[in-house]
Amino acid sequence: MKEEIFISGRNIPHIDPHLSIWEFPISLYLFLGGLSAGILLFSAFTHLLNKDEELKGTSKWAPLIVPFALAIGLLALIIDLGNPLYSWKLYTTIRLESPMSWGAWVLLIVTPLSILWVFSDLRKLFPKLDYTKLPFLFKVEDFCVKYKKQMALALIPLTIILGIYTGILLSAFNARPLWNNAILGPLFLVSGLSTAAATIILFAKSAHERHLFSKIDVLLIVIELGLIIHLIMGYYAGNEMQVEAVKILVGGDLTTLFFGFFVALGLLLPLVLEVFELMGYKVPVVVPAILIIVSGLIFRVLMVEAGQITRILY
Amino acid sequence: MMDIKSDKQHTYWNPYLGGFLLGLILIMTFFLTGRGLGASGAAKAIVTQTVHTVAPTHAENNAYYADQFLGGKVPISNWLVFEVIGVVAGAFISGSLSGRVFFRVQHSPKITARKRLWFALLGGALFGFGAQFAKGCTSGAALSGMTVLSLGGYIAMLSIFGGAFLFAYFFRKLWL
Repeated sequence: MKEEIFISGRNIPHIDPHLSIWEFPISLYLFLGGLSAGILLFSAFTHLLNKDEELKGTSKWAPLIVPFALAIGLLALIIDLGNPLYSWKLYTTIRLESPMSWGAWVLLIVTPLSILWVFSDLRKLFPKLDYTKLPFLFKVEDFCVKYKKQMALALIPLTIILGIYTGILLSAFNARPLWNNAILGPLFLVSGLSTAAATIILFAKSAHERHLFSKIDVLLIVIELGLIIHLIMGYYAGNEMQVEAVKILVGGDLTTLFFGFFVALGLLLPLVLEVFELMGYKVPVVVPAILIIVSGLIFRVLMVEAGQITRILY
Repeated sequence: MMDIKSDKQHTYWNPYLGGFLLGLILIMTFFLTGRGLGASGAAKAIVTQTVHTVAPTHAENNAYYADQFLGGKVPISNWLVFEVIGVVAGAFISGSLSGRVFFRVQHSPKITARKRLWFALLGGALFGFGAQFAKGCTSGAALSGMTVLSLGGYIAMLSIFGGAFLFAYFFRKLWL
């Protein structure tokens, strides 16, 4: 690609010959955002269905990591900014047509909600916790417990927005043909839910809970595979730019990462292993669960990188 | 629930049948892909790609790595990488079906698990060097070579197993 600089006489670092502005922190943030959204969504549903005690891993244990995941994700996001100190300016406006604005506001609500959500059950998980020196914490706890149902009702739409926005954020870029695909939003949502289900499997407190989430995960992986087929078909049915863009995933530089590591090792293999586990074969569930979680991160790294390489043809 | 054999001793295939099927797979590989199997080639591709990510100019100018970039090729897109991914996936599926997937370190009762792992690392590293000097490992040089009646393949196979047979005496205490 260097000859392009020579021919065009342009030398614009990070923009020409292709964008290289968004790096690993962005992918990490998109991954952690999707994962957190998924865990909170499952946890909120569990609470609304009155299955808190039956599914302790889902309702209480897995959400423990959410505030940390969101904090790390947001930190990564801010580190990646050119002018981190101006990030507060996102909160001086609401722009309904901007996915970035949606994301910023949703995160502003979901992050504290996730902390309150975890706090409501914290003493049940760690009975030795003592708030006597900070008595106002009892009041906060009472508040959290009292309004838990309302929090769950709020979390369901908010986490769906959070999960889907991570994909829409990319697909809203008209100038990047690989990102500009309507399937990306739903795909990121389903992938986030799938990594969340895999994380819950790791936290599951009973065989019943583990099997339930294995089943949910199998379903999510099948949907994800369907969406991936649509994604690829969408590129081929698209304009010349998109046909050109998809070459990076099919027979190009990132084919091994996409089909080998993401689709084969991250979706198909865990799908087969989880189905075996449900059929009664002895499979250590950490294997498919970790494959799904790692491949979720690989998928986001891949899409962020690949999208920046593809461009409008001229 | 399926009936799963609890006696793990008998869940392995007959080695002769396994070897015969491996031979058939080799022939199929030649038929489908036009080349033989390989394992160390995948490791080489991954190493080359990693080096290229960190130091692109060095990788492209280094004699050892350079041939993997010929004709604008991407090292990690080598089909051997896909093959090895398939081997890992297939091994897990096969192990799950026979209920043998769990965490353990197999070692002689006379040595510790830690010692076994250190020697495995050492042995693996030596084998990696050997495979690169010989331009192929047991699968890439010996098996695939023998399938096409290459003299080099036979020499490689005899040397690998002959060498192992000779050195086994000195390291027998790691196992017996």
